[in-house]
Amino acid sequence: MKAKAAKRVLLALVCTALTIALGACAGDKASENTSRITIGIPQDIEDSLDPHKAVAAGTKEILFNLFEGLVKPDSDGNLVDALAQSHTMSEDGKVYTFSLRSGVKFHDGSLVTAEDVKYSLDRCADTSSGASLVPAFSAVESVDILDESTVQVTLKEPDKDFLAYMDAAIIPAANKTPETNPIGTGPYRFVSRSPQENFILEKFDDYWGTPAHIDRVELKIIANADSIVTSLNGGSIDMFARVSQAMTEQLSDDFEVLEGTMNLVQAMYLNNQVEPFDDVRVRQALCYAVDPKEIMDIISDGKGTQLGSSMFPAFGKYYLEELNDLYPTDYDKAKELLTQAGYPDGFSFTLTVPSNYQQHIDTAQVIAEQLKRIGVDAKIQLVEWESWVSDVYAGRNFEATVVGLDASSLTAPALLDRFHSAAGKNFINFSSEAYDEAYANAQAAADDAEKTEYYKECERILAQEAANVYIQDLPCFVALNKKYAGYEFYPLYVQDLAKLYLVEE
Amino acid sequence: MKYFAKKLAGFIATLLAVSFLVFLAFAVIPGDPATAMLGTQATPERVEALREEMGLSDPLAVRYVRWAADFVRGDFGTSYSYHIPVTQMIGDKLPVTLTLTVLSFLLIVCISLPLGITCARRCGGMLDHVIVVANQIVMAVPGFFSGILLTLVFGLILHWFTPGGYVSYRTDWWRFLGYLFFPSLAIALPKIAMTTKLLRTSVLAETKLDYVRTAYSRGNGTKAVLYRHVLKNALIPVMTFLGMALTDMVAGSIIVEQVFNIPGLGRILLTSISNRDYPVVQAIIVCIAFLVISINFLVDLLYKLVDPRITIE
Repeated sequence: MKAKAAKRVLLALVCTALTIALGACAGDKASENTSRITIGIPQDIEDSLDPHKAVAAGTKEILFNLFEGLVKPDSDGNLVDALAQSHTMSEDGKVYTFSLRSGVKFHDGSLVTAEDVKYSLDRCADTSSGASLVPAFSAVESVDILDESTVQVTLKEPDKDFLAYMDAAIIPAANKTPETNPIGTGPYRFVSRSPQENFILEKFDDYWGTPAHIDRVELKIIANADSIVTSLNGGSIDMFARVSQAMTEQLSDDFEVLEGTMNLVQAMYLNNQVEPFDDVRVRQALCYAVDPKEIMDIISDGKGTQLGSSMFPAFGKYYLEELNDLYPTDYDKAKELLTQAGYPDGFSFTLTVPSNYQQHIDTAQVIAEQLKRIGVDAKIQLVEWESWVSDVYAGRNFEATVVGLDASSLTAPALLDRFHSAAGKNFINFSSEAYDEAYANAQAAADDAEKTEYYKECERILAQEAANVYIQDLPCFVALNKKYAGYEFYPLYVQDLAKLYLVEE
Repeated sequence: MKYFAKKLAGFIATLLAVSFLVFLAFAVIPGDPATAMLGTQATPERVEALREEMGLSDPLAVRYVRWAADFVRGDFGTSYSYHIPVTQMIGDKLPVTLTLTVLSFLLIVCISLPLGITCARRCGGMLDHVIVVANQIVMAVPGFFSGILLTLVFGLILHWFTPGGYVSYRTDWWRFLGYLFFPSLAIALPKIAMTTKLLRTSVLAETKLDYVRTAYSRGNGTKAVLYRHVLKNALIPVMTFLGMALTDMVAGSIIVEQVFNIPGLGRILLTSISNRDYPVVQAIIVCIAFLVISINFLVDLLYKLVDPRITIE
């Protein structure tokens, strides 16, 4: 009989555990006729939900749906008015005046006031944590409320590109817990998050602009890359951004694979100050010997966009396609240039590549093979990302490296600023008087067409001087269930969920 | 009463030791929560300000005493990365890991006890041979690999469940249980094999003892001897093993949670370690230690229930 007693104790224990777990159940069921989508994301939003403090790219691309600034980027790369109805910039680019859109509501139902705008912008510039909360805002002198619907931003120094930073989120001054309770004005509002599980958004009904189509979005964390394809094919997620070429081949017919670009400049970046790369003829010889088309064919089945300078097509008006043809593959020419430079038998160098980016490693391997054809021996050295940042990027202690550089904002300087000779980010030690002059002219130009022309001049100089061996803008694949449509690629790292809609059957 | 006081003292000492070791481990390994939080935007001034804000600039001993004092008062702190109370985070995930463990345990008990007894009764028979061989195979396959196999067979080929289709217990309790069935099976399989083998050996050893012959000679049938006399004695080593298996499963569900994409305590623990989210790691490890000690204690009590001759003084 004692064995039975033991069983009973065990049963009681199990029942208690189950009851406790059951008791924790809360009603979280939305009604049946709401439209919904489940999107897989590779890492958790384990960051502050405060838009001014969030750091991780994976968090920011989602917060894009919750928050808006006075202006915001559209999918063509233009800045359009959002919470501002219109904006003007003073002639010298020092004072920006924003006329606020009236009747815009925060997710908690309160109206957006000029005080909220001033509070938000002042907060970005706040230096109490050691430096400006949003680094670009260290340039702000003051934020003033002119009247109930007009706010003026004055800069310390004129900067005609500053508008791109005015996409900083406007948040209500009354919200005391922005880190866990994000309240913005975007088309989606925050519902809940469960660590390592999901992040749930709901359509904001009082949105001032074109409302979102899908009522409820669940972002589900798929930390294990091996289960992305099974989760998609099994039906537990409807979309996954940035799947690999290999994954797209395993997807079922229920999925459409959308192809975009990663929006970065992949190149073999050369340290312009070390031998032999301090000689422009050597750099040009490498450009003639490296064939980007062959690289794309080998590593991504021909997908990707060839680049000829530090600019990618998503930037529209700044992009110069003709630079791709500056260095057609020509081994004789390459050898001739090497001979002129004093390296008739070639040379060898170390090609440092961060080990966490497979696509850059693949590219480096193809480059090494291509360079053998002109007698140049590239020794590939893999390093950890942290040591790449400290040695190659910050320390500038390298010969050549393959990486992709992206743009942090929708401005040409985001890509071109680093190459003027005094730039702190100029890790390749590029130095050209012509470039510095063109870049300074672009910064000073008031007229947009003139400005654009100077930036294009900068790109031409980078290509002609063969500052780097430019390769491609890498392809990016988005897997989307055919039940949905409307996905749009942005020239920035964002996911615009409001554009997605259900296809009528 | 003295027994309980002694147990309790041991209990507290173990928890203190475990938590202090975790504190020490974090002091030794490289990496810092402030730089982990700031990422590419880390400037020396911001890191310093943040460290000050999080109280990381104090010496280790001061931080430990402060943490322990808060912990005793029930304040587990706030997660560095999620900015929500640790209690809430653990409270949210504990039911997942507990259910997984309990479900696996039930599977082990329900499958291996009958199997072990059958094997012992038909020792040398056809069925016994088959089970013994199957046992060897299952024992040799680790939980995470059988997890992958189960996903392949039952998820992708037979479509009995949706791989990665975890449903929260808050949304739908039954679908939650349904999803957890295969992960539990993956955890349980090697342990089922071990328990079966152990029980079979234990029963066979008991049946050779004198009291069994006496029981038979008093006119009892095989069934009566087996269930009333032999099983009770044979269960003692099995119970010890099951207690160990249970504690092992509480701590070891981390890997299977990873394979089946289950957001339980293990997943939180792993990511918190890589984010250097000290308060969360600290609380989860103390929580696991607490469960392990409690289970051991319960097993001690159960011994007495099964065999009154055992005293726990």
